[in-house]
Amino acid sequence: MTSAAAINRVLLAVFTAFMLSVPWSVPALINSFWVSVIAEILIWSLFAASVNLLFGYVGLLSFGQALYFGCGMYGVAIGISDFGLSFWPAFGLGIVAAMAMALVTGIFAVRLTWHYFAIITVVFSLIFYFLALTNKWLTGGDDGINFTLPSTFSFGATHWSFTDPTFQYFFILGAVSLCFWLMHRLIGSPLGKAFLAIRDNDVRASLIGLNVYLLRLIAFVMAGFLAGVAGALFAFFGRYASATYMFYHVSGEAVVWAIVGGAGTLFGPIVGTSIFIVVREIVSTHWEHHSLIVGVVAILVVIFAPKGIVGLWHEWLTRLTERGMAPPVKTELRTEP
Amino acid sequence: METLLLLAMNGLIWGLIIALIALGLAIIFGLLDIINLAHGDFFMVGTVLAWATLQSTGNFWLAFVVAPLVGFILGALIQRVVIQPIHNVAVLSIVATFGLSLILQESVRITFGPTPRRILPPIQGTVDLFGIDYEVYRIFAAAVAIVALVGFFVFLHRTRLGTWMRAVRHDRDTAVAMGIPAHRVYIFTFAIGFALAAVGGVVAAPITTVDFRGGVDILPFCFMAVIIGGLGNLPGTAAAAILLSFLEGVISSVADPTVARISSLVLMSAVLLLRPQGLFKGLTR
Amino acid sequence: MSEFVLRTEKLTKRFGGLIAVDKLSFNLAGGRLHAIIGPNGAGKTTFFNLISGLLTSDGGRVFFHEREITGLKPHQISRLGIKRTLQIKSVFPQLSVADNLWITGFAGQRFLNPLRAASRDRGAREKVERTLEQIGLTTLAQRQAGTLSYGDVALLEIGMALISEPRLLLLDEPTCGMSPAETERAVTKIQELARVIDIIIIEHDMEVVFEIADDITVMAQGAILASGSPEKIAADESVREAYLGREEDEDYVEEDAHA
Repeated sequence: MTSAAAINRVLLAVFTAFMLSVPWSVPALINSFWVSVIAEILIWSLFAASVNLLFGYVGLLSFGQALYFGCGMYGVAIGISDFGLSFWPAFGLGIVAAMAMALVTGIFAVRLTWHYFAIITVVFSLIFYFLALTNKWLTGGDDGINFTLPSTFSFGATHWSFTDPTFQYFFILGAVSLCFWLMHRLIGSPLGKAFLAIRDNDVRASLIGLNVYLLRLIAFVMAGFLAGVAGALFAFFGRYASATYMFYHVSGEAVVWAIVGGAGTLFGPIVGTSIFIVVREIVSTHWEHHSLIVGVVAILVVIFAPKGIVGLWHEWLTRLTERGMAPPVKTELRTEP
Repeated sequence: METLLLLAMNGLIWGLIIALIALGLAIIFGLLDIINLAHGDFFMVGTVLAWATLQSTGNFWLAFVVAPLVGFILGALIQRVVIQPIHNVAVLSIVATFGLSLILQESVRITFGPTPRRILPPIQGTVDLFGIDYEVYRIFAAAVAIVALVGFFVFLHRTRLGTWMRAVRHDRDTAVAMGIPAHRVYIFTFAIGFALAAVGGVVAAPITTVDFRGGVDILPFCFMAVIIGGLGNLPGTAAAAILLSFLEGVISSVADPTVARISSLVLMSAVLLLRPQGLFKGLTR
Repeated sequence: MSEFVLRTEKLTKRFGGLIAVDKLSFNLAGGRLHAIIGPNGAGKTTFFNLISGLLTSDGGRVFFHEREITGLKPHQISRLGIKRTLQIKSVFPQLSVADNLWITGFAGQRFLNPLRAASRDRGAREKVERTLEQIGLTTLAQRQAGTLSYGDVALLEIGMALISEPRLLLLDEPTCGMSPAETERAVTKIQELARVIDIIIIEHDMEVVFEIADDITVMAQGAILASGSPEKIAADESVREAYLGREEDEDYVEEDAHA
């Protein structure tokens, strides 16, 4: 088993090295436009991770995470353009708004399970989508709000802001990495194990003393946090917020990315999101119907590879590294008392 | 006052059409336990088939044969190829139907084009109804929808296949033990579901736009009808569709139509949380 | 022992028109292994479901060490010390054996730390290891629970019952579906447990029942048909009638009556 872990560690190191070099390696290898594509991929990966947290680790399939993404996005946009907030307060507002919305909707949504949970998450996100559309004075509706970006860090005369693509990239990379690291810690923690138990067998979980409702709610708010951070980063990235990003199609695509990447794995969301956005970028220059590809891949993955890419990778790797070891102990023949 | 009457009538008639589509969703949800996110697109395909039939043959009425037939075949195909293989990861069926929705929308966009088209109603003219000039076609559409609804319930209760469907929905294991071919029933259910939505599309085509995004608005409405009417309660679903659409029509005479939609959605949430068996449980059965 | 560990008063549960548990008044004295037997549909599992909170009763009350627990939620009842296994073997299939034990042992904590690694807690780890030794699954500690053999899953369930330090253990058909060797192993473990924990066990295997039970209660159609020591039950006519047609069980009952 150590060799599997070692291989994964090497992969992680290579990946990290690449990600740190992007602002220089990518323009050299392809062109500088792709630096912002990769930054965007990072943001959407975080959004897919919020879906993954709920589905892969707690067993709740939410089709309405776009609502919390929208809260993060609008929190920043409205904070800057209407309240004149600077960078960090606006960022905070976006995150708090997303978590508050997740708490309020979660209190109701988490009482349901299975299909009804999925349906109600869509319903809630639709309600607020329509509210956002009709309250154009606040949200700009589908056209959205544009705003100028305040600087992120200011030390006297030096300003660092998102207008510098390199700084923008590293800030996003840092924020997203931090969130993924937090998720990694969560999964190995007692709370994380409790989530997994609920996912595997919620009746049994309540029988051993876990408060299933409360734990699901906590997970829901945490997922809202992740989606909110993604939304806030998106607003800073595009200097723009629009109600279209609150529509259930956006949630649905993130679900597909998370599942194709591998539900219940840490890096699944990144892999899944990368594939779809890269394909979209490449395909859309020649053919505008890339959504067709998304649809076909979604169906194929559900039928043939429901564990997703990273899930399959883990399986394949375990099989490969265990081949040289002794066969598993035959339990039925043991004679010990 | 006139607007209120007009919108209320429109709402009522639209509700009859939605009832047809929602019943298709109800049987898929109730029997196959699948959240069919592509159901709105089944309706959209119906509208496109109506337009295509009109374009190629000049005869609108032919669409009433073409659409359900094509819908039936497509539905059966989809069930066999997409739905059946995933029966053991049922919770992911929602992802598969989402993918299906994307495929249907893009395929239509590729073949039919992105611009919305309109079909002229095959029956022109207005008639005096309660003091307003009301389109004759709409009244005709209501009649067709009612006939189709009645036909569906007759089928469900009077034919062998319909009885099989009700048995499988009620208790799958007992039904199988009694020798009912559940697999065939599933294929048939999905096929009928598509066909119903397609018929709804044909009926609705002259009074709405034919557009590859035409299903997006219909989908939530159908789910509302199913949930509020009560899962497994087919007459309830139909009643809920008619009632909701009528109410939305009334509300939109005094407020933004989006407000009407929001209130329906809020009602739906309330039902999901407080009375998941639907509002009409006590009235039937 | 003046107080009863578990006491129910006229406990009732109806499903539509069917009365599953009918004004059941049951007493469990401490320090005994109590078996509940009865034909299918007698209401035994429903009774367990009512006690553990998975079902709400339509009437009657339940007392645990004279403290009323009627109507409490499952996780609350679990935290009071009543643990149970389910009829269908039910563990956490994607977690490892060790994690299954860990989560059972420490799920009742008020606060679940979201950041510290679970493996850091040395005391918890040692407890898991000790339990693994007790049930004999140390070599399988990292195996996914869903890949275990049936007999091992049953042992894991018993381990999960052990590590949670129950004050009352409800075992629902623990030997169901087991081979004779596996049954023997499980029975030994249950007997060891019974020395320190109060246990109620639902069983269909009459050999097991008459081997380990101190007291037997027979249920039929939601009510208690007879209750008492194994000898008394073996000699009871109405019990034999309730089991009419179950010839092999009648043989065991006869054997023990003459033993």
